[in-house]
Amino acid sequence: MAAFGNQSTSPVTTPLDAAAQLPTTNSTRSRPPEFSWSKVLQIKGKEGILFLVGIISLWQFVSTAIHFSGKYLFPSPVLTARILWVSLPELLLGTGYSFLILLPSLALAISLGVVWGLVVGTTPALNRMFSPFARFASPVPPTIYIPYAIALLPTFRCAAGFVVFIGIFWPVFLNTANGAGALPQHYRDNARILGLAKTEYLRRVVFPATLPHIFSGISVGLVFAFIMLTVAELFGASNGLGRFVQLYADYADYPRMVAGILYTGVVVWVSMEVLERIKKRALFWLK
Amino acid sequence: MSAAFVKSATSQDRPGLEVQELQFAYNGAPVLVDINLKVSEGEFVCLLGPSGCGKSTLLRLLAGLDLPAAGAILWQGSAIHGPSHERGVVFQNYSLFPWLTLAENIELALSKSHPQHDKHWRRNHAQDYLARVGLAESAGQYPSMLSGGMQQRGAIARALALGSPVLLMDEPFGALDPVNRAKLQDVVLHVWAGPRKTVIFVTHDVEEALYLADRVVMMSASPGRVIQEIIVPFERPRSRRLFKSREFVSLRECIEEYFREDILQRIEADPEFGACREVN
Repeated sequence: MAAFGNQSTSPVTTPLDAAAQLPTTNSTRSRPPEFSWSKVLQIKGKEGILFLVGIISLWQFVSTAIHFSGKYLFPSPVLTARILWVSLPELLLGTGYSFLILLPSLALAISLGVVWGLVVGTTPALNRMFSPFARFASPVPPTIYIPYAIALLPTFRCAAGFVVFIGIFWPVFLNTANGAGALPQHYRDNARILGLAKTEYLRRVVFPATLPHIFSGISVGLVFAFIMLTVAELFGASNGLGRFVQLYADYADYPRMVAGILYTGVVVWVSMEVLERIKKRALFWLK
Repeated sequence: MSAAFVKSATSQDRPGLEVQELQFAYNGAPVLVDINLKVSEGEFVCLLGPSGCGKSTLLRLLAGLDLPAAGAILWQGSAIHGPSHERGVVFQNYSLFPWLTLAENIELALSKSHPQHDKHWRRNHAQDYLARVGLAESAGQYPSMLSGGMQQRGAIARALALGSPVLLMDEPFGALDPVNRAKLQDVVLHVWAGPRKTVIFVTHDVEEALYLADRVVMMSASPGRVIQEIIVPFERPRSRRLFKSREFVSLRECIEEYFREDILQRIEADPEFGACREVN
């Protein structure tokens, strides 16, 4: 496929995506894996644990034993953990608000990105029509839309939802179009031998064959989505994770702010992990 | 070549598949030139030749997956312009969709060949087709869980489910070990012996061709063309004991010698020919 297909035939990965794929264990479908914290945290061997212990010890040491002027900016891990625990209800509520923006945008961006990507990737004329626009529009950093989106759209939620949508749509669309355009010849041959109609061909052959690319796009898009969401919330939200961090930064309540940052990290990590599980389940047929 | 085995033009009965003055080029380089072939309905024909002689390309053209640069392919007198359910194909591998179970793969073929029937009917019939190739127990398995031989059995079942009167097979057992290869050859003969299909079977294995076919069409490379046709003289049903018979051995050697002689003549006629083969 001319415009999208020759960019890359292999699924795109980001460092975060690659990191998520690194040490996962191969659980087989027939036997449920046993629960263990090292598996959940994806820690293999002692090195990972030693590094975590080391970095937390260093943090504790810097925040308690050394005296310097900006010390109030470094709450100790113990204090941060306590504050995190106390703030948990507020953080959970914030997560809820953030996800109220994230999930509808995610669903819409994935649906549109996949459907349009499949159609464009398999229809040369549409590919020629749409690819110049996509090449121009997709590299625009979605953060740049935030002020305009806030000015243009009636509510903050609409504006945040829009920029999150943009952040997910392009990676999903581009990966899907690339994957569909680079569909292996033998799938096409088999579909033609069976005499599948276009919609059937897209639904039963191109879509499943392109799923590895689609999931790569969603992985990239999800990371973008969290960036968009938290940045948008820093701008002007009344609730949400980004708003939590911004609010307590304004009050110079740094323990709470650090707790908010750590908690956001955990939310993103858990979301990526959930996506990884869904991907493994959907791509069970890959050898 | 023994004159008795060479195909005479008058032995054709009902011409099912007909190839007339076929030419095919890829990126300007001729791949097939002047191919003429007539295959009667119900006949089992093997296309035999070395790698690169265009026998797989010819099969793709017969399937309608590619279109010839010149010439025509006819089935029962009408020209072929694209793939159709009249011609089922078994590829060397990757015939089945890996995200569907064996049964679902067969059901997908049935949904196209018998659109008037419901899901329940398709499920039952998929089971029947799988049983015919010895896969009744594996209906719920995904292709990646199956051995190469089982996948090819599945591919044959799918081709049967399409209900095609013509079966095109592109080195379907090329990647299998000798034991599975022998078993699958017998599956093909068993399938062919039922409601008689026209089979075009591509192979580079002389023994396989002589064991399976009514007629062997020998092809040569650069560019691909038909160099000889041989009627296989052995009675059916055939047994593998045949491989040891003097007649079989002499025919096999005769064919191998013919290929050797062809290559030798071409190298002598064109010194570049050998050099090209080395590069390829």
